[in-house]
Amino acid sequence: MKEGFRQSMAWLHTWSGLLVGWVLFMVFAAGTASYFKDEITFWMKPELHAAAARTEVPPVQAAEGAVAYLQQHGAGSPRWFINLPTERQPSTDVLYLATPGATTTSAASGDKPRRRFDRASLDPATGEALSAPRVTRGGEFFYRLHFDLHYMPALWARWIVGFCAMFMLVAIFSGIVTHKRIFKDFFTFRPKKGQRSWLDAHNVTAVLALPYHLMITYTGLVTLMFMYMPWSPQVAYKDRGGEQAFFSEVFPGGGRDQVKASGNRVPLAPIAPMMARASAHWNGAAVGRVTVHQPNDANAVVALTRAEGPQLSYDKPSMLFNGTTGALIGAYGDVPKPAAETRGVLYGLHIARFGDPLLRALFFLSGLAGCLMVATGLLLWAVKERQKFAKTLKQGGRIGFGLRLVDGLNLGAIAGLPVAMASFFWANRLLPVGMAERGEAEIRWFFIVWGAAAVLGLLRPTLRMWQAQLAAGALLFVLLPVLNALTGPAPLTVSLRAGPSAVAGFDLVVIALGLGLAGAVWIVERKRRKSMAAKPQAEKKPPSSPQQPSSTLAPSGQGS
Amino acid sequence: MDSSLLSLVFAASLAGFCALSLAMDRHSEDVYGRGSTPGPWRRWLQLGGAVLLCLSLGASLRAAGSAAGWVLWLGALTAAALSTVGLLSYAPRRFHWIAFAATAVALCSLLLSLLSPSSASVTP
Repeated sequence: MKEGFRQSMAWLHTWSGLLVGWVLFMVFAAGTASYFKDEITFWMKPELHAAAARTEVPPVQAAEGAVAYLQQHGAGSPRWFINLPTERQPSTDVLYLATPGATTTSAASGDKPRRRFDRASLDPATGEALSAPRVTRGGEFFYRLHFDLHYMPALWARWIVGFCAMFMLVAIFSGIVTHKRIFKDFFTFRPKKGQRSWLDAHNVTAVLALPYHLMITYTGLVTLMFMYMPWSPQVAYKDRGGEQAFFSEVFPGGGRDQVKASGNRVPLAPIAPMMARASAHWNGAAVGRVTVHQPNDANAVVALTRAEGPQLSYDKPSMLFNGTTGALIGAYGDVPKPAAETRGVLYGLHIARFGDPLLRALFFLSGLAGCLMVATGLLLWAVKERQKFAKTLKQGGRIGFGLRLVDGLNLGAIAGLPVAMASFFWANRLLPVGMAERGEAEIRWFFIVWGAAAVLGLLRPTLRMWQAQLAAGALLFVLLPVLNALTGPAPLTVSLRAGPSAVAGFDLVVIALGLGLAGAVWIVERKRRKSMAAKPQAEKKPPSSPQQPSSTLAPSGQGS
Repeated sequence: MDSSLLSLVFAASLAGFCALSLAMDRHSEDVYGRGSTPGPWRRWLQLGGAVLLCLSLGASLRAAGSAAGWVLWLGALTAAALSTVGLLSYAPRRFHWIAFAATAVALCSLLLSLLSPSSASVTP
């Protein structure tokens, strides 16, 4: 090995980036969308748009309404979860374990060990169930896709994503070493200069959002660290009950402990005094979630968890109350241990639930830069590799299999994913509201479209195909507000003036994304004209060749 | 969050990066034409840029608290730097006017946030 350190790092950067790049692009895009998953879910339930303009309801009233609803519908259930309304999520969402006695429906799917939950969205003011919105996974789909992928066991998916994230971390560090002129080229972007422009775009999107890229990759690994590296708690807690004991010690009051029913029916104590006490204990911070274990039993326990606040840490303090007397059992997580707090902050930074809309918009922007960084890196490899075939191509030869494969995968991943994401939203509004397995059907459309885009891309990785897919993505995104106007009660003209602002924001962002994609179409068109003009000199080009999109990349570009 | 502090965060980081980029020969040429260098201004541009970025940090720590403030600052820096690159590439003729405007906005909002008593209270 005579190579210098920097050359070997360049090699490492190239291959660690390329091998996992397509998965990383999807992970970046889905994760970026997840910063606004509540807003996306809300947009995908147009039935709720009209109700959202209501005034705010005190959390106590919402909680009492939810308890009244649950007493009616889930009195025999072993556990209730009440998520109180927030600014981002205007309805009270209740979730309760299906009553064990009346498991006619859950027995049908009894082969699954999973327990069945019933859920409902309530009007916080009245406690009545809202007119059931359409069934959709909403933004939750992107959130899960981000680390659980789909159509495979979540555990495998997390290992795959973790593996890719580890490669990403390697690629970032080796990229920092490889990039000789971080500060000299800090602001440098030279458009219309072929490979030079791609490298500039890759450098700019990587360097300018570097704090974000480093943070998001590292904290992403931290979120699942107990899965990737379970050995130290396993060894340390070997004699004390293993990992479960570790978890209940590190995250006390997390509701992991099972509460056994006594069988004696005792009415549930009123919830308002408990909430007042918890709020006072947390210096006025609101209660976000109410969990009732064994409601209406002598052993009932009520767990209150603080609402998400501006704190960076994701771990939230909780308080437990006796469910029959209302007496305080204990307060947990008020002063977390340094190690738990460190993890909580790293976790919190990754998912950015602490942020107000402005901060999350900045995360979103950096996430887009991440998408562009991965995309330009992948394209750069193809552009560089193609130069090796320049001579062969001139003589009418063919490009190698590897390059053709990368070309096709690039097309399917980078241009196809936005089309698939947009189709997911279109399916949400166009599929019949009452159809069975509706949530899964929307997701199926996402994968059908993405699969078709990938197959087409692999079959014909040409500039024409890039254009077609980017244009399809642009059209589908730009027309989403029109679709929303036709199928929902809050078109942009209404939502901009009177809210709900989440719907207006969604519409504006998809228009911007669509325009970015349209810009990319235009760039490819310019490139195509250039290569058409150059074609008479090299007549015998094979039909599937001239994909070297070496022109500029719009600063707001192909990510989604 | 206080709006004058927020505009200070963004305007100061944009102005800071504009100044830092103008202190470099390549971007000075982008903006003022071939062959022009910042000359004796280089040090002042660098110093001014650094001061503006520090100002932006101070404002964001004040606007969002000492924890989320760092996150806000880094996010604002990323957004401002991306805008600077875009302006240099696609609007080099208007670049120095935009830089002046950003500096002016930064100074005005600095004055505003110093004068108005409401900014003294840190939003938790």
